[in-house]
Amino acid sequence: MIYLKALMLFLLTANVCMADELLDQIHARLTKAAITRGAFEQTKQLKVLRKPLISTGTFIYDKSRGVAWKTLSPVPSLLLISDTRLWTAQGEQPVPAAFGKVFQAMLGADLAQLATAFDITGSARKTSWQVRLVPKDEMLKKVISRMQLSGDQELRVLEIFETNGNSSMLHFQNISHPDRLTAGEEADFAHLSP
Amino acid sequence: MRIYHPRIAAFVWLAGLLALGIAGSRMLTADWLETGFLALLPATEQQPEIAKAVRQHNELINGKVICLTGAGSASQAIAYAHQLRQRFEQSGLFTDIRLQVDQQDFAERYQQLFAYRYQLLDAQTRGILLAQPEALIGRNLEMLYSPVGQLEAANLERDPLLLFSRYFNAQNPGRFTLEQGVVVVQDDGRFWALLIAGLADNKLHLDNLDGLRELLNDAKGQIEAADGELLATGMPLFTAEGSHSAQREIAIVSIGSTIGILLLLLTFRSARPLLLSCLGIAASTFAALIVSIMVFGKIHILTLVFGASLIGVGIDYALHYFCNSFSSADWTPAKGLQYILLGITLDLATSLISYASLGVPPFPLLREIAFFSVVGLVSAWATVVLLFPLLLTGFKPTHKPAMLGLTNYWQQHWPAWLLRNRIWLAPIAVTGITVGLLQLTPRDDVRLLQSASAERLAADQKIRQLLPVKADSQFFLVAGKDPQDWHRNEQALLMRLETLKQQGAMEAYDGLSRYWPDPDTQRDNYNLLKRAVYEAGLLKRYMAELGFDEQAIAEEQQRFNAAENSSISLAEWLDSADEARKMHWLGCDADRCVSTVSLNGIKDLAALAQLQDLQGVRWVDQATQLSSLFERYRASASLLLIAAYGIVLIGLGLKFGWRNALTIISVPVFATAVSLSMLGWFDQLFSLFNLFALLLVLGIGVDYGIFFFLAEDKRSSTALAVTLSAITTLLSFGLLAVSSTAIVHAFGFTVAAGILTALLLAPLVGRHGAGKQTE
Repeated sequence: MIYLKALMLFLLTANVCMADELLDQIHARLTKAAITRGAFEQTKQLKVLRKPLISTGTFIYDKSRGVAWKTLSPVPSLLLISDTRLWTAQGEQPVPAAFGKVFQAMLGADLAQLATAFDITGSARKTSWQVRLVPKDEMLKKVISRMQLSGDQELRVLEIFETNGNSSMLHFQNISHPDRLTAGEEADFAHLSP
Repeated sequence: MRIYHPRIAAFVWLAGLLALGIAGSRMLTADWLETGFLALLPATEQQPEIAKAVRQHNELINGKVICLTGAGSASQAIAYAHQLRQRFEQSGLFTDIRLQVDQQDFAERYQQLFAYRYQLLDAQTRGILLAQPEALIGRNLEMLYSPVGQLEAANLERDPLLLFSRYFNAQNPGRFTLEQGVVVVQDDGRFWALLIAGLADNKLHLDNLDGLRELLNDAKGQIEAADGELLATGMPLFTAEGSHSAQREIAIVSIGSTIGILLLLLTFRSARPLLLSCLGIAASTFAALIVSIMVFGKIHILTLVFGASLIGVGIDYALHYFCNSFSSADWTPAKGLQYILLGITLDLATSLISYASLGVPPFPLLREIAFFSVVGLVSAWATVVLLFPLLLTGFKPTHKPAMLGLTNYWQQHWPAWLLRNRIWLAPIAVTGITVGLLQLTPRDDVRLLQSASAERLAADQKIRQLLPVKADSQFFLVAGKDPQDWHRNEQALLMRLETLKQQGAMEAYDGLSRYWPDPDTQRDNYNLLKRAVYEAGLLKRYMAELGFDEQAIAEEQQRFNAAENSSISLAEWLDSADEARKMHWLGCDADRCVSTVSLNGIKDLAALAQLQDLQGVRWVDQATQLSSLFERYRASASLLLIAAYGIVLIGLGLKFGWRNALTIISVPVFATAVSLSMLGWFDQLFSLFNLFALLLVLGIGVDYGIFFFLAEDKRSSTALAVTLSAITTLLSFGLLAVSSTAIVHAFGFTVAAGILTALLLAPLVGRHGAGKQTE
């Protein structure tokens, strides 16, 4: 029975993401590239703090390798995420439930992937689009209540609302799609190879 | 013969069997069969407290089955795993089946430890605080600013320094991904979902093992039909395969015995010898089983296999009796018994001597087999002597079986041919035997006892490659007189292991004292925080910079002050720990606390074994220990075999004179030599267990020698008895040579070579009487 259910679920979600016009429209607008590079500004609102935690830096997304998240201020640090691994200079950590994929899918604007993990609603206008994601995964649901993505031919803003009232807003700028990684970026990703 | 009354004798036999039957009916319903292979460890080999700790450890791992379901996508792998879990649940074989890790539950249990966050510092945090407390702030900011730091940020209010998050993360390192709550490992484009199940019955009953084997085979078939994969490993599976092949081998022996029985039927043209033989075998095996269980409580399945084989000599007594009926026209059971009694009693005595010698070394399996076969043989003898005379009343075959003519022709002409050609036969035989013996190489690896299929071994290997599975049979035991002393000893060991790990002696190690600091260390941790952070003004600066208000800072300072004298006991800590951690703790009794330190991916056994020298530390390596034991016992069992030959020779010498004794014993001596050289020629396994076969060869070989020596004018019926006996022995125990378990195969091969040689040589004995025979 569970096997059947899983199969049906799989077929259903596969259908939804094929048929969903919204995703198709957004997908048509997005630049498709194997590598995305850009700058970010992250504003975290934590309930207990009077002021937000603001950080800036750069990121690079490589379809085959994952995401390198480089914070430059206020505390320089590097975070690497692939499907299965999460690396920081402080050591390796287990990837939080479904997070590795979701984070990658968002930066890579891989909507088909997102549709398997979230219920998606939203709107698409001529140049801009906006979607709202609610987690399907029970584990993720306990931490994240919803996420909002908006953009044009690129993802521009990502907001994450946590169940405990904390939230994060990420702005992406200077987005480019180079053909290959720089030597420095290659070296960063090398931490993820076993 | 006046004192012998067949009815009274038969009554005595029946009464004895009935008594055993009554005792047995109660016993056989209890749990009497041991299948686990660690039960073979001799208790005296280790100090009792270590033996106890090892037994506890084994019980903990004994019932665990680890499964990985594989597919091209994670969701498919998880679907297979759910399917498997459902099968496991329906089977009723398991008590706990773990597929979904409930992170919430896990986190909640860990919250019990939250109150002790100032006492429980992980090694890294401690290192930073000791060297450069400022760096801790930098690390915290990095965690908080990270796009994935939700869990840390959630606790910020109650734990601004993130001490508990650090402790928690340090305890649960690893690179596993959880999807839908299931642990998923990825390897080369394939996804594997993890399911761990514990058997309800970790004593591994035979029925349950069969059920487990079938369950996994079915599940594997089903998952593979759907294009998935299933890997499974764990002690119960190895034991299940072992006992399954043991059962199959018992079945093969039964088929062989049936063919032998048909041969008996053809020869005697009467069902009586057949029924009596079966009765004899059944009664002696039953008696051996019951008496052994009475004495040992439980017997091992290998005892059944080897013990039942050794009792095989017993059928010779019966055959000898029946064949004697062809020897003269006025044969009666009483006359027959009178005639064979000396021969079979002598044979019983020699067999008893040789089998009983097995029980001398303090090796549980050897003792069980020795005892089992001694009881079985005495019962077989008693059945022939006490019961058969009555049941053979009126038995008188009137026909002359074809076999008799054949064996008579053979016993007359074959020895003559041998003697005629001895000029060239002898050198060839001697050279052949010598060259074969030179090629004989002993192999004592305990893993040969396991009859795991190549498939099972491959699955085990693959799982160990994908998951950090702890080594089951290699670990450290750490003891101390109280928890404090134990903690000190384990910490000393862990420090050495860290160095060895960096040198590549193993991939990982784990022990409880990594996570639970003893009360002294807990106090040190608190004081370190006090000195470096709380009293140095660092806390205030850090919290203010982050944006906490004055009140929050004051509250944190208060919480810290209030926790000054708290301390967590090991028992309380264990309460919150997960199963894998709890398994390390073997508990405290009046004057000792014991834990295990586990290892993954061992590369350098010698370096690890050297850490024995540390205070309270004991290196346990069950596989290597058992192998070395087998080696030592092979050596001592070889000496016992030689000693058994010596004693048999003395016995025969006193009875028949030295010259005749040498003639008789040359049959098994030569058979043993040929058997050993065949092992060498065909590169067969030679270990402790071949020596059982050689004991059987001694018993049966002497038997043939004595029968022919005493035959005088009854050589033709003796030849028939010996030939029938050899054929039945070959059909039953020789057939073990087809076994897939290396040692059982070696046993069968050794018996086959030895018995065949004994059969070919025995007619050479007692030829001086050849002229007198009446046929």
